[in-house]
Amino acid sequence: MTARNAQAWANPPRVPPSHFVSGWVYRDPAIYDAEQAKIFRRVWRFAAHESEMPEAGAYRTFVHACEPMMVVRETGDRFAGFIDRAGPAGARLLPGPAGQCRSTRGLRPCRTAAKWGFVFVTLDPEAPDLDSYLGDALDIFRDVFEGREFSYEVFHFHQAIVEANWKAWQETILDLYHEFMHVVLRRTQMPATAMTARSLRQHRNGHVSIGGLRALYGNYQAYRVRSEGEALPGLTPDDARFTPLFPDTTIIARGTVLRVDTVTPLGPHRTLVESRGLGIKGESPADRRMRIRHHNDYWGPLGRNVPEDAYAAEACERAFGRGAALFQTIARDEDGRGQDDCGLRAFYAEWSRRLGRPACAPTNADAISRGEQEGKP
Amino acid sequence: MSARAAEAWSKPPAVPETHYVSGLVYSDESVFADEKRRIFDRTWHLACHESEVPEPYDFRTVDYVGTPLLVVRGADRRIRTFFNVCPHRGAKIVHELSGNTKRFTCFYHLWSFDAVGACTDIPRQEGYQTVGLKKDDVGLREVRTEIHVGLVFVNLDDQATPLGQYLGKALDAFEGPMTAGKGLEVFHYNRAIIQSNWKAWQETNLDVYHEFMHVLLRRTQMTAAPLEDRKVTVHPNGHTSIAGLRAKYEYYKGMQSRDDRLALPTLRADDFIFGTVFPHVAVLARGTTMRIDVVTPLDAHRTLIEWRGLGVRGDSAEDRQARVRHHNQYWGPFGRNVPEDAYAAEAAEMGFGRGAARFQVIARDEGGSGQDDGMLRAFYGEWSRRTGRPAANPSNAPMA
Amino acid sequence: MTEQNVRELVYRSCLALDREDFDGFLALCDPALHYVVTAYSPEIRKEMTWMEQDLAGMKALLAMVPQHLRRTGSLHRHVSVYQVEAPASDGTIGALSSFLVTHTALDGGSRLFAVGHYHDRIAATGGRHLLKTRRAHLETRDLGIGLHIPI
Repeated sequence: MTARNAQAWANPPRVPPSHFVSGWVYRDPAIYDAEQAKIFRRVWRFAAHESEMPEAGAYRTFVHACEPMMVVRETGDRFAGFIDRAGPAGARLLPGPAGQCRSTRGLRPCRTAAKWGFVFVTLDPEAPDLDSYLGDALDIFRDVFEGREFSYEVFHFHQAIVEANWKAWQETILDLYHEFMHVVLRRTQMPATAMTARSLRQHRNGHVSIGGLRALYGNYQAYRVRSEGEALPGLTPDDARFTPLFPDTTIIARGTVLRVDTVTPLGPHRTLVESRGLGIKGESPADRRMRIRHHNDYWGPLGRNVPEDAYAAEACERAFGRGAALFQTIARDEDGRGQDDCGLRAFYAEWSRRLGRPACAPTNADAISRGEQEGKP
Repeated sequence: MSARAAEAWSKPPAVPETHYVSGLVYSDESVFADEKRRIFDRTWHLACHESEVPEPYDFRTVDYVGTPLLVVRGADRRIRTFFNVCPHRGAKIVHELSGNTKRFTCFYHLWSFDAVGACTDIPRQEGYQTVGLKKDDVGLREVRTEIHVGLVFVNLDDQATPLGQYLGKALDAFEGPMTAGKGLEVFHYNRAIIQSNWKAWQETNLDVYHEFMHVLLRRTQMTAAPLEDRKVTVHPNGHTSIAGLRAKYEYYKGMQSRDDRLALPTLRADDFIFGTVFPHVAVLARGTTMRIDVVTPLDAHRTLIEWRGLGVRGDSAEDRQARVRHHNQYWGPFGRNVPEDAYAAEAAEMGFGRGAARFQVIARDEGGSGQDDGMLRAFYGEWSRRTGRPAANPSNAPMA
Repeated sequence: MTEQNVRELVYRSCLALDREDFDGFLALCDPALHYVVTAYSPEIRKEMTWMEQDLAGMKALLAMVPQHLRRTGSLHRHVSVYQVEAPASDGTIGALSSFLVTHTALDGGSRLFAVGHYHDRIAATGGRHLLKTRRAHLETRDLGIGLHIPI
């Protein structure tokens, strides 16, 4: 068998239902609306890092579940989140992305909680508390954050609008197999340890954590080897580990520096990606410069890793966005190691559970868009 | 009677139903969705000219109403077309517009495919052992591809009638110029997104009457031959052609009459013939050079137009230069004809796009000669048949 | 004369980057090159560094470019040199330029990609003018999918 005709192309992949995803998840407007209602309005979402609100009254705005939101430091370690809409017209109260806020009177509060300096909010009054929501998903970062006498600080922020469905971006984080795409990972990551040394763990609520990765930075000619003294406490300089929290936040560590990403859907075909880099608060200028350099080697808009992921997300959009691609396969099984697709499967299992429709056939459940489907080859 | 109040303005024109078109065909989103499903997913689409993939392993990528396509000439010299989509995770595979390669490797996970659409490599395939996924299961989606007079047509519908049957005699007049001798090759390509419904562009290729708009045609065409010499032919499946037009190029300041030595096979240098293939292709020959239009809707109000200019394969440098000059006098972004048509299409969008204009009239009847609207009526006749909605009243429930 | 040389150097550095003639670009750089891309984030209220390289680092980074997956199409830098200062005591000359970068996609459509300023110091030694420091400060902070070459 070689190429396939229309009928063969329309057949679902011959793998278990949990191991493929329908293209409708990326383009059906009704699915997009259901995601807002059943996922984004119900989950805990990372809002900002405490260092972005250094003193009482300092605020940070963001968008979540189609709502203009803000989070403010009230006093000490107390943070409060609000929907930033006031008055009869529902206008945004705050003038910019960050600043000092005089009053939050008239704004609707939402539940707010912090863990290790990461401030989260939820719009769901019935949601379990943040700790139960996260469960043990962040355990691989326990050594990095717990019992430390210093705190972390955001030194990098950038955002970009990617022309793709939000899940296509999140997949670039959950998918270990695509390291083939990145020359930096082919050189620095793939030869650094055995595939079997990696560990992908699935946690409750769709979170995933990935550990056991290492990097040989010297293998990429423009990079310097990272030294023991440069490592963040709890990590070795060649460590790489990350936790994609369902649905939209990821914490990533590369030995000497941290990155936190959030992904916000702006429509079925447009996504806001926000990315932060973190170092140690109060560190020497030389250390900070080192950390920024290490951050920028891989990340940021001029890094050698992140732009390629965005390229991939947009390339998927071109095929899924208008219906040329009908399915994607997430069927790799390496027993939770190597380049297993179990992270992707955990994500889509949670997605299916929350939406009440299987990701492999999301429109059949309640006949959404059946009219359109009828016209498909 | 002078101007009309709202009620009078909303009344259909007092002409037969086949002789006018409702503005809803340009602006209604459900009409557009039906056009995509019932017309564009089922009819033959011009992907490129065969000269754009002359050698084995040459490829060309195109986008067809949201479907990325990859046209490849195989080692057997046969031209095939595939969805330019990786069966693994759905990424668009080839991002270049043209090139030559034996192996198409998706950038994302390095799955590879050959020129006949077979998957030839999956890195670390052992990861799929548990579910038994094999290379044989993940070939590319092949799209029906057929060639007529050098034009590479594709069809997303595997059940569609064969190309030859679909075209009938619609392109017969072009067979001589396009295939005699060494055949033709593309020397010009440009594209533009215009702010109008796709049909407003295609109408400029179907409407002979609007020659009044072009000073170039008023001078070179209307006076060159009697209007009665013209003959409109309506072919089955909504295709059209017209013969009997001539041009006196020297009547436009700065242009000279064309030398018969440069005429394309079977044509005179002052001949002008053109035809349309339903729904969205136009083929035009002006004695010494040809133009081909492909009109692709992006949405109800935005349209991609691709223009190609063709000359004789193996032209001397001097002859090619003359053909390019002739092409550019009328066509291309700096020509004196094409930009005016695009202006007209966008002006029609301004009237119809938001509902100010309610109807257009296509009621000229000159017995298939002169400035008859027969080609426009043939187009809308086929359009109505395929969409199941009468163009005069498209909000009538679609026929089953 | 010097002012003219400074302008020419700034323009040539942009033409070389537009053409992706990286050897040509590196030949315009002083051995002590310090190249930084910066931006200010009103979100975190901080000046940020998005790229920092010396000559060796820049050379290595540019050598790797062909192996990367990158945005298709081309970038075009439109530069106006606003100010050329008098030579400083160390012989270097400061120049301030504005840049607009457009992106042209493979299908021929162009759009504005980024705007900002170059803050350059140019070394004039041995009759040659070479780029010693460049701080490319971006006003534009959403660079879409990002990029692999200096702005």
